[in-house]
Amino acid sequence: MNPLQSKTDTDSKSRALNQRNVLTRTARFGPNMTPMVDVTLVILIFFMASATIAGPEWFLRADLPEIEEQSDQSSTFALPTPILSADLLIRDNQVFVNGFGNETLPIETVIQRIAAMDPTLSNGLILGIRAKDDVPYSAIVSLHDAASRAKMRVAFR
Amino acid sequence: MRNRSIISSNGAGARINVTPMIDVVMVLIVFYLLVGQLALDRKASITIPGSSSGLEEQQTLDPIIVGITSDGILSINGVTLDQSLFIPEIENMHARSPGTPIRLRADRDAPFGVIRPIMHAMRDANIPRVELVTEQRR
Repeated sequence: MNPLQSKTDTDSKSRALNQRNVLTRTARFGPNMTPMVDVTLVILIFFMASATIAGPEWFLRADLPEIEEQSDQSSTFALPTPILSADLLIRDNQVFVNGFGNETLPIETVIQRIAAMDPTLSNGLILGIRAKDDVPYSAIVSLHDAASRAKMRVAFR
Repeated sequence: MRNRSIISSNGAGARINVTPMIDVVMVLIVFYLLVGQLALDRKASITIPGSSSGLEEQQTLDPIIVGITSDGILSINGVTLDQSLFIPEIENMHARSPGTPIRLRADRDAPFGVIRPIMHAMRDANIPRVELVTEQRR
């Protein structure tokens, strides 16, 4: 192989490479956006994933227990009549209601009974709710919800 | 004339113009940051119960939001505070603006033993009624 020919080939290759580098450099001026876009997208995905998807809210109104003026700081409360009372308790990991019809019934049965009540009779009635310490709040709200649909007023005792 | 193509024709190698994408992504990030700040009290630590009846928002006054987690951690308007500080704080707030509605955002799994003392404390502060916040379930 001719050494002169080889050198010429090498020179032309080097020139071509240099030319390409120059072209690349001229085309890519300014900061490299790729890492920033990467980080930004990761942050965006994090916020989207951690966002709580919550539905619309509303509220149920309830009277708080009234304190008897003559009471000796004990937890006895007086409520105006007419009043229906519902004492919630847990039995066998289920919520029962006592005092609603003089028997202890599952909460679902009581909710059905409230739903079946004549609205003209239930309208304006006060449902006094009392619950044991271990009764979950959701059970109390479900009973309150049923009472509200029957146009009852709810008060905690 | 300004180049409107998403592919830049400057230089030898054509490449995607990322500026509009960054604009949109930045706007989305700012949106999520703001929503996250505004909805601090609606964080996942409190899962409110659902109800098929309820009253829609009508008042113009900003309500006082009392939060109770399933562990009994208390907060007023998103600020966590100890139970001993709760009573004077709620009394002060109610005394400053007696007409302000008080909303109870309690976790659906919170036992009533955690909620009852708060209700009694509010009653002691001469608050006659409370609004129980629920999620609309139709």
